Amino acid sequence: MTIHLPTDEVPSKGWNRVGRDVAMVLWPSFLAAAVQTMVFFAIFDPVYLGEGTALAEIISSHNAGYALGFFFFWAFTTLASALTVYLVRTEAAQ
Amino acid sequence: MTASDESHSSPVKEEVVSFYAKHEKIHPREVSGRFSRLRRIAVFALLGLFYLVPWLSWDGRQAVLFDLPARKFYIWGLVLWPQDFIFLTWLLVLLGLSLFFFTALAGRLWCGYACPQTVWTEVFLWMERWIEGDRNRRIKLERAGWTPEKIRKKVAKHAVWIAFSLWTGISFVGFFVPIGTLIHDVARGDVSGWPLFWTLFYGGATYANAGFMREQVCKYMCPYARFQSAMFDRDTLIITYDQKRGEPRGARARGGDPALLGLGDCVDCTVCVQVCPTGIDIRNGLQYECIACAACIDACDTVMDKVGYPRGLIRYTTQHALDGRKTHIFRGRTLVYASLLMLIFLAGVVGLIHRKTADLDIIRDRNALYRETNNDEIENVYLLRILNKQMQSRTFSLAIEGLDYARIDGGSPHWLVNGGEVYTTAIRIDVPSGKIHGGQTLRLVLIDDSTGKRLLAEKARFIAPP
Repeated sequence: MTIHLPTDEVPSKGWNRVGRDVAMVLWPSFLAAAVQTMVFFAIFDPVYLGEGTALAEIISSHNAGYALGFFFFWAFTTLASALTVYLVRTEAAQ
Repeated sequence: MTASDESHSSPVKEEVVSFYAKHEKIHPREVSGRFSRLRRIAVFALLGLFYLVPWLSWDGRQAVLFDLPARKFYIWGLVLWPQDFIFLTWLLVLLGLSLFFFTALAGRLWCGYACPQTVWTEVFLWMERWIEGDRNRRIKLERAGWTPEKIRKKVAKHAVWIAFSLWTGISFVGFFVPIGTLIHDVARGDVSGWPLFWTLFYGGATYANAGFMREQVCKYMCPYARFQSAMFDRDTLIITYDQKRGEPRGARARGGDPALLGLGDCVDCTVCVQVCPTGIDIRNGLQYECIACAACIDACDTVMDKVGYPRGLIRYTTQHALDGRKTHIFRGRTLVYASLLMLIFLAGVVGLIHRKTADLDIIRDRNALYRETNNDEIENVYLLRILNKQMQSRTFSLAIEGLDYARIDGGSPHWLVNGGEVYTTAIRIDVPSGKIHGGQTLRLVLIDDSTGKRLLAEKARFIAPP
């Protein structure tokens, strides 16, 4: 008796280059933003920070402050990651 | 480009070149054996902790609660304040170093047994298997047209996945919002704002990561997968195929003596490839896609048992052992990681034990630098914030040091501060006029009344006319 089992797979479209670039930009920036949020808000209280500024009404609760802070950080870490990927991709061949 | 243009174009054929190989959906074959049992234990232990811990209570409150609005972390008997942030840093450093240590010792243990990506993917695979059947059935189902059977199975799978993801999201938020109230709100359909948002965010991430992205996360997104090789050396445990023993591979009749057939022990059944969740062939050597889940070891051992060859054609071993040399568990790299780990661990524990149980903020009154009283004294006013970090209420009093003749107007009061609360009050400190000129620094000492112990001393500035 020979041991033979099927090895064929169903081909399906997976992540293309754009998908992978998006993943590579979003995930490391997410991690960085998460750590940044923890460190930042361990030191600063968002409600005190918002006092007397235009943001006071939006940052009316701690939860809103933390969430907005997180997305604010994530936006900029994403921007940095995206620029890095863009520079790597558009680099002239050596 | 139109068809007529094309006929005039150069004979060189244009071709779209993809930078990446086309991805094929991987249907890992189920496997049983020592290591898959170990992973099942890890999955139950880790996810058990994740889903159960929010439900534990301690001292009449949730045992583990990261109360963000109140800026307090409760971990059983321990209450951490923003001032204790150093311990969070300590924990992160400790976790990072542990990752280094275990990677140097035994390769990607984290990936194979503990990473949330692996653990949740495993559970999602169980559910997939439960509804859609084993690997061959799943492949058949994938290829089949949209029959009512397929629709029924897909709908059922996604319904179960989504329900599980939502529960995961709720459990996650339950670490930050008391889970009792959260569930109550969910039951009434009255979850609002941020808790709802984060439940959907975390639940959605679970559904996408464990249901769809799976090994792609490890291959394309995970930084650890890329730099773990920096912690590897020739004494690190890796999962390898014993090329010397296995090659030349080939199918054969059962019971055939490989030596007579001119074959190695590998029967080329490809089960090791079918069970691999990242879809690689371990026989091609160590690859960065390998998450060291050891599914191929279990699979190969099972086949070796069946054909009557010794186990271990694919096994945990080290490069040194493969080369016929001695493996060193104790070596520079592991000793350095281990001693750093121990040192930092001990330092943190000592710090936690000697952590201040109270805190005192002193703010000088902003309205006046000083005031001359009717009793011919110079008076300064201070705002005090006394923070009782312990959970029981305590009474505090204050003593002055470093400034002669200074006294607290009316004597030091005894402040009762409830457990885990901040008490704000003002005090007046008086010094006879002739005894002080210009500014001087004094120390205010916070005393625990019940024990008479000095808890801490904070400096403050006393200002008098020159």
